[in-house]
Amino acid sequence: MKKYVTILLLLTGVLLFGRESSSGRAIPDLKIKLLNGKQTSIHDLLKDGPLLIDFWATWCKPCKKVMKHLDRYHQAYGNHGFKVLMINQDTPRSLGKVKSYIRSKKHTFYVGLDPNQETAKKLNGQIMPTLILVNRDGTIQWRHQGYVPGEEVEIERQIRIALGMDIQSDSPDS
Amino acid sequence: MIRKILYFAFTSLVWADGIDYNAAITVNYGDSYDFYSYTENRFDLNLFYNNVQAWVQYEYSNPPEIGFSINDIRKFRIEYKPLDFTIKLGDIYEFWGRGLVLNQFDDQITNFDNGTRGLFLGYSKGPFTINHINGNTDIWQLGNDLRIPYYKHAHNMYANQVQYELNSLSLGFTQLHSKETHQKIFGEAFVNHKLNGIYASWTGENADLFLEYADKKATEKTNIIENIPHDTLKNGYGIYSNLNIYLGNWGLSTEYKRYAFDRGYSDFTVDDYGNQINFQTMPTLVREQNSTLMGRVTHQYNYNDERGVQFALNGTLPNGYYLLAQYSQLSRNEEWQSVTSINWNGSTIEGYLPSSDPSAIPYWENYQEMNGYHFDDKLYFKLGRGENYEVLELMRYFEGEGESITENWVYTDSIEWDNGWFYTDSVLGSIDASNYSIEAKLWQESRSITFPFELSYTFDNGYSVGLNFEYQERKIRNVTRGNATTFNYSDSTWLLVNPENPDTSFIVYDTQFSDGDKQYNTQFNRMISLTLSKASNWSVTLSHDQTNAFEGQRSIDPYYNPLEALVYGDIKYFTGKRDKSNPPGFIQKRWVSVKIDYSLTPSQRISVQYGSIQGGLFCSNGVCRIIPPFNDGLTISYTAVF
Repeated sequence: MKKYVTILLLLTGVLLFGRESSSGRAIPDLKIKLLNGKQTSIHDLLKDGPLLIDFWATWCKPCKKVMKHLDRYHQAYGNHGFKVLMINQDTPRSLGKVKSYIRSKKHTFYVGLDPNQETAKKLNGQIMPTLILVNRDGTIQWRHQGYVPGEEVEIERQIRIALGMDIQSDSPDS
Repeated sequence: MIRKILYFAFTSLVWADGIDYNAAITVNYGDSYDFYSYTENRFDLNLFYNNVQAWVQYEYSNPPEIGFSINDIRKFRIEYKPLDFTIKLGDIYEFWGRGLVLNQFDDQITNFDNGTRGLFLGYSKGPFTINHINGNTDIWQLGNDLRIPYYKHAHNMYANQVQYELNSLSLGFTQLHSKETHQKIFGEAFVNHKLNGIYASWTGENADLFLEYADKKATEKTNIIENIPHDTLKNGYGIYSNLNIYLGNWGLSTEYKRYAFDRGYSDFTVDDYGNQINFQTMPTLVREQNSTLMGRVTHQYNYNDERGVQFALNGTLPNGYYLLAQYSQLSRNEEWQSVTSINWNGSTIEGYLPSSDPSAIPYWENYQEMNGYHFDDKLYFKLGRGENYEVLELMRYFEGEGESITENWVYTDSIEWDNGWFYTDSVLGSIDASNYSIEAKLWQESRSITFPFELSYTFDNGYSVGLNFEYQERKIRNVTRGNATTFNYSDSTWLLVNPENPDTSFIVYDTQFSDGDKQYNTQFNRMISLTLSKASNWSVTLSHDQTNAFEGQRSIDPYYNPLEALVYGDIKYFTGKRDKSNPPGFIQKRWVSVKIDYSLTPSQRISVQYGSIQGGLFCSNGVCRIIPPFNDGLTISYTAVF
């Protein structure tokens, strides 16, 4: 019986949500505490342009791999108003390591802190990495779970779509 | 029934005007040849309407991988945030400071949930923040069963926090009071816990500092008559500090902790209560490893009685290589002496640092890592090295003076009978006493060294290949040391192994690794996994885990599955010439699995895994759990966010 319930739920999910059904939905204006101690909110970060949110932790291997590319896009498209917000989910016990890691990697993107996963639960970002690309008007353009090498190409394509740029032309930093 | 009505009321709001929502489905299914089966289905729904936010989680799990079966609303919360106020009703998860008084989370991997079902009131204006929590919490702990919790610790609690922030400075006061009904091995105890804490932090451009102190008092209600004062049970305290220094793209992180909520030379059980409560989940000061083999040998945290230091240096070289070097050392707060074989005395370790004496149950670890990219960031590599040492158990530990007494008797009367003389009386002529040193020690220690290695290459067409390899050498042995092993209660002394020569001392190492009748001094573990992936679509990973010996009982793989036969090239298996229910011997020390991850859409992901997984120690969020082996089975995971 339970096996069939599982299969039924799985099929329901696939059939009902088999398209990118979160696209176009508005993102809530959640408050974010940044690594530098300042407070901001998602809507504040959207004032100048699109925002890419990513959930990560210092122990998450694929998260660290995608960070390198996200920081590159944060710098490359920054003058178009684009920003990357990396929301850290390390527990309060290991918060001390976060700043040290970010500085050693010279990352320049925004780093938010979410040690009890409150923001992650509200945005369904508990699977790491989870990327949420938000348009300037606050609507979600694209969501993605996980990372395998090579996916940075699709990430950049989505950023360019959000910025209304030609997706075929070279990226500004190339 | 009311919960189900509430759930459907929540769900129907999705179609209401002006309400934003998001939702997620999580499905986990597993079924192994040796009856390790589980079915977990969770549905999370978040609603947002102006200043109101709501969250509900419905779960149908029968049974879950760990925990109780459920077909109901598992969690819910409504939040209202007018102006500077926050009101939350439902399941509350908060953390204050670094968790010496309160750190709440719900970790379903280890089935640890210390959230409070109740009310949260918060006020924040300018530099001031005031928070209050009030409600009930049921925290469950595992007993002998590795999957179904047994011990229930029910808390009726309230807690308060006041925080003041001024530029780079922050100062906070915390207080928590809980009335606990604590389930023991037999019966229950009624305990009051009172915690008071203070923390401060400073953030600068090139350094930051955090300090926290918590004081705890526990009283036990030992009399059913309410008028009788409760008895003092335990007093304790905890200290944590963290100093980070940054220089360019290099960072040095230093941590110190001293948790003294209880004291003991052995593991604490559910019958040791009144000490640290599960609202207190504090920094552990060991590295949270992301290597499978290193994770299996990590230190099992002790929040009750432990002090330690940790240093971590990380930075980037000019060529972009990232370097990390970490060291931590811990021990109990006391060094212990077994005055008899069952009576132990503890003496506080002088100073602030941990002890390396085996009687203080020490642990140390160091880890070094280098990783980087090559060939236009297409090639990624990681090289690591981790080493640790731990005293796992203290069975006897005595070092001191012993006295040998020899009585010299003189015969004073005798009789002759049957051509022989027999002595009939005697007196004590003299007593010879001699002093000598006694050393009677027995402890169990573990030592391991691990080398994790990772390599991946990404091609221009979106394909990538990856190789993960981990190699580990591990020793677990009982160490017997000294010149005595047994305590004689009639003489109140440790008995010398060689009374004729008290100076004869010995040291014996007794390995704990074996495979059947054969003993091994060293356990060798190797884990290799190969991954082929296509960006944004799928990845396939083949994993092979291997050991040569077991600690304690050998695990039994009851079935020879086709994946194992395929990997080892056993053609006879596929021609029907193998007995699948009687696997060859080498299979018992190897675990093979294949995992396919497929992205149905960017927000839908399915994972299918087949094969066997070796169990072992797994730690997450500062909570450790022994995972049972999963033999010859299928697991399916599906997540969707919409």
